[in-house]
Amino acid sequence: MNVGKISAAKFVLALGLSAGVLGLVSCGGGSSSSGNTTKPPVNNTLAVQVDLGPANTLPNGLFTDVTVCVPGTTNCQTVSNILVDTGSEGLRILSSQISLSLPQITDNSSNALQECVSFADGSYVWGPVVAADLKLAGEKAASNPIQIISVTPSFSVPADCASGGGANQNSVAALGANGILGIGVFQQDCGSACTSSSSQLPPMYYLCPNSFCTLATVPLTMQLQNPVWTFAQDNNGVLITLPSVPADGAPSASGSLIFGIGTQTDNALGSARVYTTDSYGNFQTTFSNNLAYTSYVDSGSNGIFFLDPTTLGIPNCTDNSSFYCPASTATYTATNKGANGTTGAVSFSIANADALFNANSGTNAAFNDLGGENPGAFDWGMPFFFGRPVFVGIENMTGPNSVVGPYWAY
Amino acid sequence: MKTALTIVLSLLLSAAPAWAVLGEYESSVTSDQQYLHGELRAMVREGYSLHQITAANRTVVKEYISPAGLVFGISWQGPTLPNLQQLLGSHFAQFQQASQSQPRRRGPLVLRTDKLVVESGGHMRFFHGRAYVPSLFPPNVPVEVVQ
Repeated sequence: MNVGKISAAKFVLALGLSAGVLGLVSCGGGSSSSGNTTKPPVNNTLAVQVDLGPANTLPNGLFTDVTVCVPGTTNCQTVSNILVDTGSEGLRILSSQISLSLPQITDNSSNALQECVSFADGSYVWGPVVAADLKLAGEKAASNPIQIISVTPSFSVPADCASGGGANQNSVAALGANGILGIGVFQQDCGSACTSSSSQLPPMYYLCPNSFCTLATVPLTMQLQNPVWTFAQDNNGVLITLPSVPADGAPSASGSLIFGIGTQTDNALGSARVYTTDSYGNFQTTFSNNLAYTSYVDSGSNGIFFLDPTTLGIPNCTDNSSFYCPASTATYTATNKGANGTTGAVSFSIANADALFNANSGTNAAFNDLGGENPGAFDWGMPFFFGRPVFVGIENMTGPNSVVGPYWAY
Repeated sequence: MKTALTIVLSLLLSAAPAWAVLGEYESSVTSDQQYLHGELRAMVREGYSLHQITAANRTVVKEYISPAGLVFGISWQGPTLPNLQQLLGSHFAQFQQASQSQPRRRGPLVLRTDKLVVESGGHMRFFHGRAYVPSLFPPNVPVEVVQ
């Protein structure tokens, strides 16, 4: 499988030319400084909701609506039930959920750029990269590269893309959502690893001349963007706020996705403390067993995933084996530490997931005490967000007190 | 550190690191030579040996090899999810089935059976995981060494 190396060298020129020819992608052109906006304030708040999602299958799914438009036009469509994910970057929408005809990003031989994205559990999505104007509340991201997840792909899924073991999430049933809005700590989904063939290209971006897909090098501006940093203002990060929920859960929870950190009266850091991350977007969590784990905050994870049943002394569930099922609710404390040295303790509870999913006749969806095993790292998923405002600081962007992302703050 | 011997084989980008497959003989596998490019370090530890491949994109894959020459565990960490179909070999189908039959979960995946354990987690630009076959562990080597 030497196609990656050969093709990468070939495509550098093609894409370099096409970026100029297309002129589609203007994202990233804005000032990288932020925080002291001189523009009149815009509505920076997008409503979010926690529920079971459009497939009625995803506990702790965090959803919002996004409006996408043909670039430079008022030809727009609002797509609901888009999963809000702090563990990825970029907007991806199922082809079945969008009827707009959006211009494809191509090389100058008119080969459409395709993308495969593997998620941590080995599942993946595959489909073309197109350009769209995004409207998120009052914020705009012009000509933003987004991915259309192919329900019926034009090209066969590359072998390296499907090698993670998971399912192709090319349906609402499989994805549990109509799309994913990635608003994590990075500016692009791939970054510099995809811009040069001098290092081994990740199996993400492809061109498929003659229906045979090969890896492509892609300039930063043509990769999927975390749309937030391309806004004209409120572009240094986001704040997610969700209410507290009862121990046995709630049918839904409504909150806000607020753009910008310290840019308006509604997104001040306040008493939140800043935990900067390493270059992978991780910080460190020390559990009560005095072992330190790599850790991250991920609204796309629907539980707190940490350690293992043997170490914790609680079993996995019988019916829902991905989750913990303690006989009675267990309470734990862990200490987070940022790359900047900030430390702070977090207390949380893990309840019996089989019981949670059966409570209230099985209609509850928002849980602050859902957890499962993850021996290799500490994944602060959705339960972390309830009753705790969480800020996501984007890399290279300056926040309050001159802190530069990537960071989490809460 | 229990390292008794460290051999650093600085391989060029185009060189072919031997890449073993879980449950198979280290020496029997030469089929995946193009996938990971970078530096191979072979280390002898107490009761087993370890091959660590650091890819040019910073993804690290470790292979844990018994004195009998069998790969009893593998681990990975870095910006790219490695090709698990290649790493897991004949165990991939079982992992695939498990990964696609865990309703309600959105997050890391753990397959835990008596014969095979696979853990895969992370987020965009950071993937971590390990896989091991309990029955292939050398005597007195604990599971925790695979990490």
